[in-house]
Amino acid sequence: MRIWKVEDIKAYIESGILELYVLGDVSPEEKLQVEAMAAKHPAIKAELDEIERSMEAYALENAVEPAEHLRDRILNSLVTNLADDRTFDKTPEEKVAKVATMERPNGGNFYKYAFAACLTLLLVSVAALVSTYNKLQDSNTQIASLRSSNSQFAKVANFTEDTLEVLRGASFKTLTLRGTPKSPQSQLIVAWSPKKKQVWIDMRSMKMAANDQAHQYQLWALVGGKPVSLGVFDKTADSTNMQKMAPTAYADAFAVTLEPRGGSVSPTMDQMMVIGKF
Amino acid sequence: MSKKRKISLSEDELVRALRNREKIAIEALYDMYSSSLYGVISRIITDTATAEDLLQETFLKIWNSFSGYDAGKGRLFTWMVNIARNLAIDKIRSKDFKNQNKNQDLENNVTFIDERKNTVYNPELLGVKELVETLKPEQKAIIELVYFKGYTHVEAADELGVPLGTIKTRLRMAIMLLRRHFN
Repeated sequence: MRIWKVEDIKAYIESGILELYVLGDVSPEEKLQVEAMAAKHPAIKAELDEIERSMEAYALENAVEPAEHLRDRILNSLVTNLADDRTFDKTPEEKVAKVATMERPNGGNFYKYAFAACLTLLLVSVAALVSTYNKLQDSNTQIASLRSSNSQFAKVANFTEDTLEVLRGASFKTLTLRGTPKSPQSQLIVAWSPKKKQVWIDMRSMKMAANDQAHQYQLWALVGGKPVSLGVFDKTADSTNMQKMAPTAYADAFAVTLEPRGGSVSPTMDQMMVIGKF
Repeated sequence: MSKKRKISLSEDELVRALRNREKIAIEALYDMYSSSLYGVISRIITDTATAEDLLQETFLKIWNSFSGYDAGKGRLFTWMVNIARNLAIDKIRSKDFKNQNKNQDLENNVTFIDERKNTVYNPELLGVKELVETLKPEQKAIIELVYFKGYTHVEAADELGVPLGTIKTRLRMAIMLLRRHFN
């Protein structure tokens, strides 16, 4: 920044720039410069003030009184402008502000709550769906297990029906097979209906030694002196039911031999456990 | 409106009232400055109806752009008279105005003003009036051109056929004479 000496300031004042400044006849750059100089140097500020006052006095000296009707006209236009300021500048602002503070939050709240409600509904629906699906799965499992036990009961019922038929049916004959010298304590009750070609053995009343994993008992029917296999069975601790064997319409006698697991084509005679004849 | 009812405030009071948009400020503003401003406007624009319109425009602009006035940078009247002068100069230089009013030269304007009956002669300033009359013709011419006719000093130099520096010096000397009297 340039340092201004007293002489410089005097020269600046005498340059005539301040008069031009007061008359509004300076460039924007010169205007800023004069204002900066006036702010910095009281002498320049004082000079400016003097020039302004003299030009103001000069204007007053050249004053022309405007027509009287002009006063009302101009004052009214300014007052109208002032009223406009108040009715169109300030009041609408307040109204706009009121609208903004009342409607926006309400609108915002409505959508906020609506969104929250939708979200809640969605969550509840999903939870209900999951719960219902689980219940459905449970029900399906229960239905399957009920069906399975139902069919088991049906089997049991059928079986019981069949076994009852053995006792009731007039066509059934029962025969107690007695132990051979090899196993004198053994005993097996056979029920046979030549008419129905059915052969049952009663596991509950069976008195025979438990067989091992390598062997099974085999029931034979002796038809005209020839042995006919009626199937194999096991003696285990829980053998309690009646067991249906292969059908035959003819039998002179029944015998049980101990055979290798799966049975044999012909009986092993020295392994005969029980035998009974009609 | 009688002169008794005219409102007058100090410049500081008036500026404060204008800033606060007080209704009384409008009346005070008009009563205190309308004749000074109209004197300047009617020197530039000789057509009464146009000059009156311009005075109204001037007050409207003063009122509406008052926030633009910085008391630290100068007197209120300087700011206002420049608004009035600029509006008047813009008007006189506009095409439609030029078409309406065929060129009236400087001498005719000055004579016309002096002949106006409603020119205010402030008794305290009668001496000044005489002083201004005694300004050297070239000093008076430059003041008339720049202050009342809206010429820039560059245009005035052109019009009067003298160098720029001479214009500045003459303008300064003329204003110095005015100042000496007021002090």
